[in-house]
Amino acid sequence: MSMILSSLIIVPLIGAILSLIMGGSRENYAKYVAIAFSAITLVIALLILFGVFGEFDSLSEGFEWIHNSSFIMNYALAIDGLSVLMVFLTALLCLLVNIFSLDEHRENNNYFYALIMAMEVGLMGVYLAADYFLFYIMWEVTLIPMYFMISWYGGPRRHYSAIKFFIYTHVASLVMLIGFFVIGYESVEPGAAVNFSFEAVKNGIASAALGVQSLIFALLFFGFMVKMPSVPFHTWLPDAHTEAPTEGSVLLAGVMLKMGSYGIIRICLEALPEAAAYWQWLIIAIALVSIIYGAYGCIAQTDLKKMVAFSSISHMGMVMLGIGCLSEAGLVFAVFQMFAHGLITAMLFMVCGMTGHKVGTREIPLLGGLAGRMPVYATFMMIAFMASLGLPGLVGFWGEFPVIFAFYEFILANDVIWMLLFCMLSLMLTAGYYLWAMQRTLFGPETTKIDLTKAHDVGHFEFAVLLVLSILVALFGVWPDAALQFLEPYAEGLVSMGVI
Amino acid sequence: MVSEIITSIFGDLTPIATMIILAIGALISPGIMMFGKNHNITWAVALILSVVAMLVDICLLVDDYSGSYLGVSVGTYSLLMALLFMIVLTIVIFVSNSSVETSKRHAGAYYALLFGASLGMVFVTASSDLLTIFVGVELTSISSYALVALKRRDGRASEAAVKYAIIGGMSTALTLYGISMVYGVAGSTDITTLAGYVLVSDYFGSELSWMFLIGIICMIAGYGFKIAAVPFHMWAPDVYEGAASPVSMFLATGSKKMGLGVFIQVFLFMFIGSVALGGIYGEVVQYTFAIIAAFTMTVGNVVAIAQNNIKRMLAYSSIAQAGYILIIMAVMTPEAAAAGTFHMFTHVFMKGGAFLIVGALICAGIGEKISDYKGLAKRAPFLAAAMMLFLFSLAGIPPLAGFTSKFFLFASAVGVPGEASGEFVWLAFIAILNSAISLYYYARVVKAMYIEKGACTEKIKIPAVFTIAIVICLIFVVVLGVYPDLLYGFCEAAYGLV
Repeated sequence: MSMILSSLIIVPLIGAILSLIMGGSRENYAKYVAIAFSAITLVIALLILFGVFGEFDSLSEGFEWIHNSSFIMNYALAIDGLSVLMVFLTALLCLLVNIFSLDEHRENNNYFYALIMAMEVGLMGVYLAADYFLFYIMWEVTLIPMYFMISWYGGPRRHYSAIKFFIYTHVASLVMLIGFFVIGYESVEPGAAVNFSFEAVKNGIASAALGVQSLIFALLFFGFMVKMPSVPFHTWLPDAHTEAPTEGSVLLAGVMLKMGSYGIIRICLEALPEAAAYWQWLIIAIALVSIIYGAYGCIAQTDLKKMVAFSSISHMGMVMLGIGCLSEAGLVFAVFQMFAHGLITAMLFMVCGMTGHKVGTREIPLLGGLAGRMPVYATFMMIAFMASLGLPGLVGFWGEFPVIFAFYEFILANDVIWMLLFCMLSLMLTAGYYLWAMQRTLFGPETTKIDLTKAHDVGHFEFAVLLVLSILVALFGVWPDAALQFLEPYAEGLVSMGVI
Repeated sequence: MVSEIITSIFGDLTPIATMIILAIGALISPGIMMFGKNHNITWAVALILSVVAMLVDICLLVDDYSGSYLGVSVGTYSLLMALLFMIVLTIVIFVSNSSVETSKRHAGAYYALLFGASLGMVFVTASSDLLTIFVGVELTSISSYALVALKRRDGRASEAAVKYAIIGGMSTALTLYGISMVYGVAGSTDITTLAGYVLVSDYFGSELSWMFLIGIICMIAGYGFKIAAVPFHMWAPDVYEGAASPVSMFLATGSKKMGLGVFIQVFLFMFIGSVALGGIYGEVVQYTFAIIAAFTMTVGNVVAIAQNNIKRMLAYSSIAQAGYILIIMAVMTPEAAAAGTFHMFTHVFMKGGAFLIVGALICAGIGEKISDYKGLAKRAPFLAAAMMLFLFSLAGIPPLAGFTSKFFLFASAVGVPGEASGEFVWLAFIAILNSAISLYYYARVVKAMYIEKGACTEKIKIPAVFTIAIVICLIFVVVLGVYPDLLYGFCEAAYGLV
């Protein structure tokens, strides 16, 4: 059995364990261990991406893990066009986050890096799993380190935020777990053992009644949508982001939210296509509400990080909209938006987190004229904001506009032209709040409300990380095919199977 | 194979081989102590006997032995439960000699009581009559009262013992009253006959016998005291707090499992036919248990949040765990019973491991308050890591044993393969919600150990036997998590699923 995919999970796991035991006098080496192991992971991910091990579609591996009279669970990993991008994004962001925090000195540093690496284990597992049981295990594995990261290393209200984050996402995942039980039980004949592999469940559930399918869809969709998050179950996100350390925010928004939309595509859509069609209007309604509400929320925020958190809700709503179109173009660009948002939001949270560190506050009304004192910082912030509002030539453009085109097809097909207004509104709002925030933070007269004498520009490591991200944002902006080439075959496969 | 050797030694007595060894242990340990005047020798003999009893049991279990002697009939189910009790007994005896909490002068009585209590447990699981079960339960209970009281010169222990004895006595009375009513209506105390009575009255739709139902409810309440099901749970935290840590472990993992075993043997075997038929008796019992289970797990978990003493916290958490296992009684399917039995095993290792760590730290002079655990990660990295894993396993974090067993258990509440019935989905919801709550108070201990600074940074030394016992528990917590098939096959065989 080849171990290439497993190595994506095992390498960070070793990194996590090694960082964990680097306590006491060796505490400072933990970060180098974490960087080394996340770098190895990234190299493996890139090799898979470039097809060094052959076509990545053929890289599945696994064995039967648990077998009893009721259940068959497999340790099964697989990778395809959908997951390969997410795997790359995870590996990239984990490495960058580790480098980004090199200058930071905190107590119990080794636990911090162990948590990051443990999160990478879980994230990789979620994106690679091809079995419900394994998927659920990995899903939970991401949750625990994030909880501890917020409650141990977060801001002043960290305990409240951490527990809120935990309860929301855990309750959602338990609803999802019940959904897994039901989908498993319904996918077999009475008396047979439930095989939890994606393939077996998908084949088994196809013959179930639409009522059962749509019930399961609702359970699973609820679990995933809280994670994304979509209005009205979004309230944990702004709190979690405000209190989480920068590194935690980057991973949370950059890759953990994508677990939700990934799950919707991988499980809800692939296994329950009829139910997806049944719930299509609800999906689109939730998506539109999230987009508009998130954007409105942004305008009201005074904390930079909280504003970015709300913008995540809005942008993830765009992903949901693309999925809700149930068309090839919609799906392709929804996934592209996931990827793009991962890159951009990482930059955004890094820049906003830095504001707190360098200036002492993230409150927009207290800031002003930072560009004069911190020009490099201001440049990166502008790049991130512009990318996020969808400036052509940057990666955000290819996430947002094609999704709206795909949605336009849906509008035409259903003759609901007024819905286009929502899209217009969202674009206007997004441009509005970003430009407004930028104007108040970076430009104008230098603020006198806070002491700026100690403010200093970005450090070397931070600069390197932000530079890499900016290059990628620009690269995928002018050459989106670099990512789309993986997605199109995947979406065509779904079309040929009649899923969309 | 191996069982042939045992059969050739014990002959007709093979079904009660384990019990014989335990009885020998109970009888000779006071003698050894009296004449040898050395608690180390007593300990060694007790340990050897308990290991032998465990090995005999394992051999019979692996060879799929079944047989009966007089009223005692042994099959996979009773051998499996006996294995659980033997594991607990062996671990408890193993650490008892090194614990500072157990009285060395009374080592003979102490081991005799442990053997006696275990004998009662094994006897219960091999009985199929209400009265013999009652006798076994009493043997265990009375030994347990004395075990708690053995921690002398400690006001809390005496208080706990008295409380335990009084409440235990009440529950005994209640149970007997219930049994007498059931006997009065059905005319038998044999469980198979009673199951037949229930089936017949359900099948012919004859009048519901209130007397019979009240008897059953009295028995549920009486045995509910034994497993500390809400609302009969008040004694448990005091007793676990007051008793010596090895005894607390024995009570939480061993005698509580006996109570659950009684539930399975009496109520599951009596009503499973009625449930399958959709009869009214089955329905009433199912919903009674469902409500008790829901309250037990919720109260256990919610009250545990407020505890500052780690033993009390573990006591409440084991009340909650009993609530999870009571799902079996609500769902009443063989699948649920197998999953519940598997959870009993994983619970032995994770809760047992946690109590062992508490006991080991008491030996090292660390208190029982959660705040005493501050900075433990620096002082005893291994103990802190092990404690974290045990607590995470109790909370059901994958891929530890607690997660896997809870997964099977909660899945069984949702339905069976081919049909997600949905009748007890709400119970599964409550159970999983409770798992989420429980992580909150477990995380508090982890936070105290890892993040908060302690006043003292000195390294901690604990007795070697504790380390070995903890490592064994830890191995099983991990192995049963990633490879449940090791034991799950036996759990299914116990209920005829294979």
